[in-house]
Amino acid sequence: MNFLPYLVVVGALIAIAAASRLRDPLPKYLLPLLVAVIFVCLWQVAADAARYELKDADGQFVRWVEVFPTPRSTVLGMVQPVKDGTLLRYAISSVYRVAAGFGLAAVIGIPLGLWAGWYTRGFEALNPLIQALRPISPIAWIPLAVLWFGVKDAAAIFLIALASFFPIVTGSMTAVRTIPMVYVRSAQNFGLKGFELFRRVVFPACLPQIITSLRMALGIAWMVIVAAEMIAVDSGLGYLIMDARNANYYDRVVGAMISIGLIGVALDLMMRRLERFDEVRWGFSKV
Amino acid sequence: MTQHSTQGTVFESQKFMEFPSMKEALIARKIDATFMNVPLAMKLVLDGVPVKLVYLGHRDGTAVVVKRDGPIQKFEDLRGKVVAIPGRFSNQNIFLHRQMKQLGMPFDSLTIKEVPPPEHPSSLAAGAIDAYIIGEPHAAKAELDGYGRVLMQMRDAWPKFISCALVVRQEVIDGNRPLVEELVRGIASSGEWLDADRTTGAQHRKDAAVVAAKMFYNQPQKLLEFVLLKDTTRVSYTQLTPIQADLDEMMELAVELKILPQRIEFEQYVDASFAPDLDSIELKLDRLPDVDKIAAQ
Repeated sequence: MNFLPYLVVVGALIAIAAASRLRDPLPKYLLPLLVAVIFVCLWQVAADAARYELKDADGQFVRWVEVFPTPRSTVLGMVQPVKDGTLLRYAISSVYRVAAGFGLAAVIGIPLGLWAGWYTRGFEALNPLIQALRPISPIAWIPLAVLWFGVKDAAAIFLIALASFFPIVTGSMTAVRTIPMVYVRSAQNFGLKGFELFRRVVFPACLPQIITSLRMALGIAWMVIVAAEMIAVDSGLGYLIMDARNANYYDRVVGAMISIGLIGVALDLMMRRLERFDEVRWGFSKV
Repeated sequence: MTQHSTQGTVFESQKFMEFPSMKEALIARKIDATFMNVPLAMKLVLDGVPVKLVYLGHRDGTAVVVKRDGPIQKFEDLRGKVVAIPGRFSNQNIFLHRQMKQLGMPFDSLTIKEVPPPEHPSSLAAGAIDAYIIGEPHAAKAELDGYGRVLMQMRDAWPKFISCALVVRQEVIDGNRPLVEELVRGIASSGEWLDADRTTGAQHRKDAAVVAAKMFYNQPQKLLEFVLLKDTTRVSYTQLTPIQADLDEMMELAVELKILPQRIEFEQYVDASFAPDLDSIELKLDRLPDVDKIAAQ
């Protein structure tokens, strides 16, 4: 039995306990790092628990059979795709598909949401349909996507656009509908109306909430990449997972999962930068 | 059929929608035996998964399907076209390369796409692919629905084509030989039974189509009848003992295609000792019991 991961977990827990007693502000990355260490150790423990001894017909030990990749085998399995540039190339393809799908969803979703939010009739007409389509998993759309767009990039982009469209449209719709009436009325008192009222008051008032829905939608778009790349494309991190899975490279499956997680964090950090603009910042008390 | 096996053991069957999940269930020891494509079994053994191929599932029963009114008339016409395969580690992929090699076509003359089997017919209908190669009943579906045409049956290009094989975990083989023997014997007997009267009315296959459609795989009865009965040589369920020459040919092609990283010896992944002596199989059963009742459900 391998005791090392248990020892490291205990060590990390002691470090966390000790750190919480310190008065000085802790280095920002200390706690997340310790938690990550604990996570990796638990992963190792789980992988050890899954492997089993193979015995021959006489009950003699033959060898260990690994069932689940360990942290170490995952790192080793990723050496090749990192070295020959496939990982980078695939990451770029996936980000491209997500950018295209998400962009499309935003371009259609924001105006539609604002319109449907502003006109009550529009809301009443559209909202039930949107709410009914929203819970359908993008995976269920795969056959239709193939039917409409074939087995090319367009089908994958469609799925991503579809998945990110609903949070954007719902978010924009709710944003308009929940603007404090006092903003609108004071603007009207200043003589603003029509498109001018919309451009100068309604839209800025909605922006913080729209940005939040965009952030959520980008997270969903990125999450859908694996499902979207199940369609016969031949690049991307989702494809890497499928392809490695078919070829029994489970270390690469886990490696690609981790890559997706890390890029997802990076995308979210970029999205959060949008919240720092003055036009948006007023909506966030904590910024 | 399991309830009619000689010892009466009931083998529970589980349907999987795709190969990877099934393979993972086998690796994780959640299932003991499964039917899978032969190259995939070779790859699993090379990757250290303790399993053995013990018997074949069927022979032939794979076809290349194209658009009914399309211009493709012979294999060479597929040059430059998009052809769907069920997966890289499929016998179908191996076949395409064998055929290209025989016709002197360069290996990149087809654009080969991996598409999950159930999506092959709809992708063809939608024009997303120009052709597909797959085992039944997916090949028959496009034909039966009217938009597809069989370009070639495997039996015409690669007689006795092997598609799926029975793969059993080594632990089960070592721990319970009689159980594996019973399973293989059951499969062999079912196959003998299915093919016994195929040239004389094929009543057995008619019964099997009803029972399979109603009780097991949720496939339309019409489709199964089409596959099993329209041409009773379309799929064969006899001659299922693994033969080294057949499997070696497939292995060498897989290595050439680089889907296997190295050669693998027959003994490393095959245990042919379970294949029963076919003369000893006595078919006690003629019609399946209660077929009429099941058909009426």
